[in-house]
Amino acid sequence: MDWIGTARGLVPVRRTMRVGVTGLARAGKTALLTSIAANLLAAGAGLPALPALAARLAGRSFRVAVAPAGAEDLPRFDTAAHLAALARDPPSWPARTRTVSALALNLEIGQSGLLAALPPQRVRVELLDYPGEWLLDLPLLGLGFGAWSAAALRRVQNRREAAEFMAFLRALPARPPADEALARAGHRLYRALLHRLREETGLSLLQPGRFLMPAPGPEPPWLEFFPLADDSPLACLLRDRYDAYVGAVREQLMDPSFGRVDRLVVLADLLSALHAGPAAFADATAALAEVAEALRWSGSSLLPDWLTTLLGFGITRVAFAATKSDHVADRQRGNLAALAAAVTRLPMRSGLRTAAFAVSAVRCTEDVVWTLQGHPVSAVRGRVVGAERAGRSYPGEVPDKPPDAAFWTHPFLALPDFEPIRLPLGGRGGVPHLNLDALLAYLLEDVL
Amino acid sequence: MTRSRITPRFELEDTPVARMEPEPLPVAEEPRGGMGSAGLLLAGATMLGLGLAVLSAGNFVIDEFARSPVLGWMSLAVAGGGFGLMGAGAWREINGLFALSEVDHIRAGLESGEPVRIAQAAVDWLKELPEGAALLPAVRAMNDADAVLALLRSRVVPGLQQRADALGRTAAMQVFAATAAVPSPALDALVVGWRGVRLVRQIAELHGLRPGMLGTMSLLRRTAMSAAGVAAADMAIDAAARAVLSNPLLQHLAGDVAGAGVAARRMVVLARAAAAACSPLPPGRA
Ligand SMILES: Nc1nc2c(ncn2[C@@H]2O[C@H](COP(=O)(O)OP(=O)(O)OP(=O)(O)O)[C@@H](O)[C@H]2O)c(=O)[nH]1
Ligand SMILES: [Mg+2]
Repeated sequence: MDWIGTARGLVPVRRTMRVGVTGLARAGKTALLTSIAANLLAAGAGLPALPALAARLAGRSFRVAVAPAGAEDLPRFDTAAHLAALARDPPSWPARTRTVSALALNLEIGQSGLLAALPPQRVRVELLDYPGEWLLDLPLLGLGFGAWSAAALRRVQNRREAAEFMAFLRALPARPPADEALARAGHRLYRALLHRLREETGLSLLQPGRFLMPAPGPEPPWLEFFPLADDSPLACLLRDRYDAYVGAVREQLMDPSFGRVDRLVVLADLLSALHAGPAAFADATAALAEVAEALRWSGSSLLPDWLTTLLGFGITRVAFAATKSDHVADRQRGNLAALAAAVTRLPMRSGLRTAAFAVSAVRCTEDVVWTLQGHPVSAVRGRVVGAERAGRSYPGEVPDKPPDAAFWTHPFLALPDFEPIRLPLGGRGGVPHLNLDALLAYLLEDVL
Repeated sequence: MTRSRITPRFELEDTPVARMEPEPLPVAEEPRGGMGSAGLLLAGATMLGLGLAVLSAGNFVIDEFARSPVLGWMSLAVAGGGFGLMGAGAWREINGLFALSEVDHIRAGLESGEPVRIAQAAVDWLKELPEGAALLPAVRAMNDADAVLALLRSRVVPGLQQRADALGRTAAMQVFAATAAVPSPALDALVVGWRGVRLVRQIAELHGLRPGMLGTMSLLRRTAMSAAGVAAADMAIDAAARAVLSNPLLQHLAGDVAGAGVAARRMVVLARAAAAACSPLPPGRA
């Protein structure tokens, strides 16, 4: 393994490492990107914000800068603004992300051993922030309109919430004409259905994502479609619109980033999912698996694995990360990481490395021992947003494998809204976190 | 298994609390600002001493005038000169404190995102830096705020960082040598504390600040804040300290004196934390 690193060290080019972060809405992507940027910048300035990374560097030089925007037309991730919001007093969490932005960091890593005399290795790390709802558009890239319609209708047809939309479909004539008013009416009903499913049932596998989180600006006319599984003139109109939609997804998510990622971080807010109940939990994990399926896995089974690793083809490293781990005490975080690894299925292939983590990008709590029903329990304590008072929380026991029926008979509490711990030096000293250093050290292991 | 029977629970405490702070770091144990009871005692004693001195000097001058105007004028001149010098000292202290708020001002300017304020703040800062004058014309000519920040980052910051690191290494070396040689742990603490304060002042001067005693105190507090989260076992610091101690003679000594290595390491941490506390450049952006 190490000679691959050595071979790379001899090549004086800047490598680009694209890290795909897949996370559903509110999973903690924006918080994670902000924390990664702030802590890497602090580490690059010599402050010990990331101990595990520093341990790997073992005194070699390490510099970090936010890469200047090149010629690409993706907006840049506004690290400074997100950081300032967390550093402010009182702090504020990032708002729901409404559009795509890219974070690029330039790392300069001093070389070790015999190579120490050579110039430092340069690595450009790229990450993408996007509305979590849009993630579920990735699987659409591999689906035609007919296949998608069939699957989407199968998922909703028997649900109570879908009564209106299904009634509309049944009321359509046998071969509905390509009529603008029909398309619009169906679209409105389907969109309302997705909203209801999200709000009332907590489901996540809701496509297309832009129906729930529209792109900023006026809505393009091709957005008005809905699933319809036949070959009528109306379905043809809807298919054209669906294809335009998929084209936009390819242009904004797949081509600039997800189509070329070489590391994958599967983020999951498992603690909230444990609260949401068995149906929502299963749906969320199914959604993540479907997204993982849609990403580009090294298709080149012709090449030996060491060569694909050396050349950086396809995804070579996957990290499963359960977010918001500061909502449970240290004793439970091992289980949380194990659960993260257990719930997501991946298209396996040899040479793929995986690891599981329980991270908190923006730490809010401290661990406390709390006496409940006469027993000491490891709980957490943090200041509650808006209350100016501290709250103690023991949400329940985190299972280390996918929860069984017995688990669901016990309640698991909703996560309280905690306020981030004060950032050292107003953000220049990084963002207090849990285990983010281990995650980064794993992702960057072969370039460090 | 017994645990799963404990009912989950969330409870809001009754009394309001302040925002939670990151874990403090070892450096923070060293000299600390703020008014403890010792501070109050000291302030009271100073006030008494100074106040009584002023009163008795005043009485004395009046007495002397009663004897003869020449003596009166002379004693007035002496008293005035003495108190004037003391006043000048106090003024410097206040200036030193003010210099710190100046950093905050410049920092706010650089972070403002408004081109005009950024350029003005950059000029203000460069004026304070020993070698800043060379860059002034360039900054004045630029009307692009991002370019100004990029210039500061690429031309000013690396030099400052290098020199701060060098200062930290020198202090580490000295502290190491001193603590290895000094027999008593109490003296050790004194040496470390004194050298730490001096180091922070040196780094402040490097960044164009001239803190007096009070200013140094408040800077120390900020430095401790900025270094919060520095784990005692941090490896980067270890490695840097080890590089300092690579001298075989020192290494030999370090084998005997466990505390000396730790103290030296603190200097390296302190240098970096102080540099971060003194730099007005906003984080983020290349
Ligand atoms: N306690 C705690 N809460 C967190 C952490 N990270 C995120 N959160 C909470 O989760 C919420 C959502 O985080 P975001 O980073 O905005 O999530 P996102 O994935 O970007 O969401 P979208 O932009 O809607 O897709 C935040 O508002 C916080 O309340 C963490 O590390 N600890
Ligand atoms: Mg977001």
